[in-house]
Amino acid sequence: MPDTQQASPAAAPPMIGGFSPVLSLAAAALLMVGIVVVAPSFLDTYLVNILIRAFFVAIAAVTVDIMWGYSGTLTFGQSAFFGIGVYALAITFTEYGFGTWQALMALGVTLTITAAVAALTGWLSFYPGSTPLYASIVSLVVPIVLVQILYSGGTFTGSSSGLVGFESFDLSFEDWFRLAGLSLIAVAVVALIIMRSDTGRLLTALRDNDARCTYLGIDTSRMRIIVLILTALVASLAGFGYAAFGAVAAPENASFTFGTRLIIMVALGGRGTIIGAIVGALSIEVASAYLSGSLPYVWELIIGVALITVILAFPDGLVGVIRKLVRGLHRFQATETVRLRPLTVSTAADKTSEMAIEVRELGKHFGSLSVLDGVQFKAHRAELLSLVGPNGAGKTTLIRCLSDGRERSTGHVAIAGQPIDYLPPDRIVRFGLGRKFQTASVFEPLTVAECLRVARTHHAPPSLTSTSTFLDLPAAAIAVLERSGLGERLSEEARNLSHGLKQALELAMVLALEPEVLLLDEPTAGLTRAERQGFADILTTLVSRDRLCILLVEHDLDFVREISSRIIVLHQGRIALDGSVDEVVNSALVREIYTGQPSSAAEARP
Amino acid sequence: MRSRLFLTSLAAIAAMTPAMTLALAADPIRIGVPVGLSGANSVVAPSVVQSAELAVEEINAKGGVLGRPLALDVADDGSGAAGAQKAFDALIFQKKVNVLISMETSAARNAGLPIVARGKTPFIYTSFYEGKSCSPYLYVNAWVPEQQVPPIVDYFNKEKKAKNYFLIGSDYAFGRGMLSFTKSYIEKTGGKVLGEEYLPMDGSDWTPIISKLKASGADAIITSTAGGAPNVTLTKQLRAAGVNLPYGNLAVDEGTAKSMGGDATGIYISASYVTGIDSAANKTFLAAMSKKFGADLKTPNDLSVPEYEAVYAYKAAVEKAGGTDPTKVLAALEEVSVDGPRGAIRMNKQRHAPLTMYLGQVQADGSVNVIQSFPNVDPGAQCPPKS
Amino acid sequence: MLTVALDAVTTAALLFIISSGLLIVFGVMKIINFAHAAFVTVGGYAALVGAWLGLPWLLVLPLAFAAGAVCGGLTEAIIVRRLYQRPLDAILATWGLGIVIGQLVTLVFGREVQFVQAPITGTVDLGSLDYSAYRLVMIAAAVVVAVVFTGLLGGTRLGLSTRAVIMNEMLAQGLGVNSARVRLVTFAIGSGLAALSGALITPLSSVDPNMGLPWLISAFMLVMVSGGSLLALAVSCLVLGGCQVIVSTFVNPILGGLTIAILAAIVLRIRPEGFARA
Repeated sequence: MPDTQQASPAAAPPMIGGFSPVLSLAAAALLMVGIVVVAPSFLDTYLVNILIRAFFVAIAAVTVDIMWGYSGTLTFGQSAFFGIGVYALAITFTEYGFGTWQALMALGVTLTITAAVAALTGWLSFYPGSTPLYASIVSLVVPIVLVQILYSGGTFTGSSSGLVGFESFDLSFEDWFRLAGLSLIAVAVVALIIMRSDTGRLLTALRDNDARCTYLGIDTSRMRIIVLILTALVASLAGFGYAAFGAVAAPENASFTFGTRLIIMVALGGRGTIIGAIVGALSIEVASAYLSGSLPYVWELIIGVALITVILAFPDGLVGVIRKLVRGLHRFQATETVRLRPLTVSTAADKTSEMAIEVRELGKHFGSLSVLDGVQFKAHRAELLSLVGPNGAGKTTLIRCLSDGRERSTGHVAIAGQPIDYLPPDRIVRFGLGRKFQTASVFEPLTVAECLRVARTHHAPPSLTSTSTFLDLPAAAIAVLERSGLGERLSEEARNLSHGLKQALELAMVLALEPEVLLLDEPTAGLTRAERQGFADILTTLVSRDRLCILLVEHDLDFVREISSRIIVLHQGRIALDGSVDEVVNSALVREIYTGQPSSAAEARP
Repeated sequence: MRSRLFLTSLAAIAAMTPAMTLALAADPIRIGVPVGLSGANSVVAPSVVQSAELAVEEINAKGGVLGRPLALDVADDGSGAAGAQKAFDALIFQKKVNVLISMETSAARNAGLPIVARGKTPFIYTSFYEGKSCSPYLYVNAWVPEQQVPPIVDYFNKEKKAKNYFLIGSDYAFGRGMLSFTKSYIEKTGGKVLGEEYLPMDGSDWTPIISKLKASGADAIITSTAGGAPNVTLTKQLRAAGVNLPYGNLAVDEGTAKSMGGDATGIYISASYVTGIDSAANKTFLAAMSKKFGADLKTPNDLSVPEYEAVYAYKAAVEKAGGTDPTKVLAALEEVSVDGPRGAIRMNKQRHAPLTMYLGQVQADGSVNVIQSFPNVDPGAQCPPKS
Repeated sequence: MLTVALDAVTTAALLFIISSGLLIVFGVMKIINFAHAAFVTVGGYAALVGAWLGLPWLLVLPLAFAAGAVCGGLTEAIIVRRLYQRPLDAILATWGLGIVIGQLVTLVFGREVQFVQAPITGTVDLGSLDYSAYRLVMIAAAVVVAVVFTGLLGGTRLGLSTRAVIMNEMLAQGLGVNSARVRLVTFAIGSGLAALSGALITPLSSVDPNMGLPWLISAFMLVMVSGGSLLALAVSCLVLGGCQVIVSTFVNPILGGLTIAILAAIVLRIRPEGFARA
């Protein structure tokens, strides 16, 4: 068992100028604070006016970036939450006048209603099995519904007129500027810290490969709903501030058009960077106020053309273009070295069930078409079971039915002694199941270390403020990393790895779950001979030393013959044969199934 | 639901300084005109801008105001609250205009008033509206319901023997304010209101409301939509559904009526201006408009003529006050009287003006036939002083 | 009662005509074209131009269709073609295109609201009531659109190729179907339909640079619910459009405008693939 492994210094790029990312963020923030405090004295009143509004809009744009740029949900609906803040304040002050308790009440109403609406929206958008498109659709409907509710509210909501003339906070333009500017800086700093931390990387993983996250035991729906609620609350506070300053509430503040405006700001500025959202929002708000006076039609035309160009040619927006330029000159990345550490105490719950997989009367039907029928078998710990059969026999379907409780039509499945009922994959994974997909399913934008970190999420929740220096992994995972050479390449992005290394990484990630049962779907596809051999060694070690139960779907019969203790042959959705390696390999039935030709008595061997 | 993708403000219309005043490189007096170039009011906005342009041109030709030329800054308020905020901000804080003179929807006006107060800029509102808007910076030279509604209802009651009314409007301050006044007046004069229905300002599908109207069995309709597009869509759809009841439209002007074509025939309107007013001032005005705009002329109407007169009122107030100082100008606005196409107008009734009202009916060719006229109708107590 | 029923059917007809173009595009390419609203607007302005030129109505409609088809073809070739792998980005790019088209229209025609006279005015006497003749014509128009397109899809070679591409593009390509051409033609036809619907609806309301927008959302939701089948679209328009009219008439016209969006969102939650092959 190797001791603490250290990533070689050569792999980590040098830090820029000796400043750590934390220090440079702090310095930048302080600089911005200074500018915001001093600026109103130098700037023209009109510009100050515009910027105050722009700051609040920029806060909303940051929330859009978190939802879309980081988490991958194209949301048109953040404007609805902004609008809730606007109207909660306006209605409260109109009905009850202005004062301290009214202001507190308005704040309370804003937060409560926003949380409720966001929770409902999240529940509608992010149910297991929903698609990003459906989530976008729901996010489209929310502001439309809200605006119509505002229209139907008669004099209570002001309908088309909106609400005006209510008394609001009496601050000077300069003080509003500082308040709004400092709020924006605070939101930006918090957002940057979180997005750069392990939690932020987890969101990126969510966006990149939702299925992989689910099969790592992460409840992706719940995560998305929580992110939505938190960003909605921030957006509603931005709206609250906006209305407090402007003393006007209009339906346009909550509209779907405003929502698309926010997206355009993030797209042009650069999605997934936070700074991009702010740059985009401020530029567009300020330019629009000035240019739409002197270039009336052309300004909007420019925005439309810019959006198309950015989507087609520069998906990373302005900030992305700048970054590429800068990166060409400098090595900017200051990633800290990550060290592997073997787990001293297994964090997996102590499950000592000997029965790893139990399947009874499993069936999967599509109408009258039966893909699996009457499948029944048991597998114990320390068994390496191979599942073979011609194409279309139902092997991958069987794997799906074992790992996702909602897949099968009939029958009973238990993993590590626990029945899976109709549970979603993330729950089943927590019983001790690991599934490795046929195509190497990792997180392309994340580094190797970050991928492994995400894999440990269920056992060790990620930090909200930092990236961990130490990566605690079970010995099996570390063994795979060393063997494949990934141990030397922890800071490399997954997308740059070769196919074979991605397969190894995925295996390491799955092993990081400390599974008792491992489902592997054609793991040797595309591997070289040497890689295949290495893989075989790893699997046999896992079975003999760690007493895992491994179920392997494979086409390579040599591989299967070498490592399996048992083979199940699947044919047309039924188990044709379930026996030892010798029995199956020498079986006439198997030959018949694979070649499609009935064997003559002379060729049959005892 | 129609949301606007964008708001635009037109470039400042350069001061029209004729050659003879070129020698005076005087600092122009800037008049800000926030108006609905897009959205519901976009049908009438061009006519308003034309009136302002003519007034400025005439005044500058005669030497300007106190030796200074007038300059116009037009901005698009999108016919709504959000756009108005931006337009008012731009005009008051960026262009730093001396006065705002314009016609707008009530939504835009209400949103702009706090900004007007912050910038301490006089605002002459030239649009008819639902009344009772009282800001110390706001003067109104157009009608309020107390002046406009009684002629129509009285006529319907007496001549059309109407007993059961159906009211339709746009859902915002103006629509609701007008119809609420109308409803009380109808009930006060012995009639009944069978239905009161609203669509948002940008709504264009009146089908369910029209179906309700037909089902109610009312014998007269009175409508009060936002000026412009909603009027047209409602009227078109009413006619397409075969509704031919006595139809009083509180918010349509001659220009919009003309653009409705044959559908507008028979509509009753009550206005402080119709192009048929037989006075020397009106004839001169119409001739000047024709000459300046030729084929591009938009029919002068009850929403655009007050704009023309308001520019003159401002000129008179500045001359009386001896300068553009807001406090002095605001005090002077109450005292000056201006002779225009609508006669002599003075905004001396709690910052509103007594007006001569005309009850008319739209003819097949789009012109308005005046049935009755009511001189010097008082606006009532719009902004009673706080005791 | 009859009035409400007729309102419902005519509204459904209108929605069908507007959504059918979006459906055809979505069915073949799985792309949501957010520039659909702009194409509707293009059609509306084409009708305006036609009215100015004094063209007879029967010429104006094909003119509008052609205008839309040309815009659509250009859009597919320049923009959409590169975004088939990125459907969410396609939504954004087509939205940007919608803005561009709206601005170009404003630059050329000005931004005021303008009006087109209905080609058929007056009402039809249906015994117990009079109903707007033009609205009834909408029903006929919807039926014509449905019949023509079902015929095209089912009876022509292009239709066959299109259906093949819808079912399995790679296989179709392997069999020699030029799927790029199919996509181009489909997008053009879908956009042409959008413009045609714009020309049809202008007499009922008005023409302005944003006229297509309110219809976009409803059309989008209806297409999602119908899951790609023209028949399912017709049914969805009838059912959801009918609900909209009922809510507008008996509850509140404002809430009525919401009905389609909310019902569609709920239906999709329960049955994500919509009603196709139900």
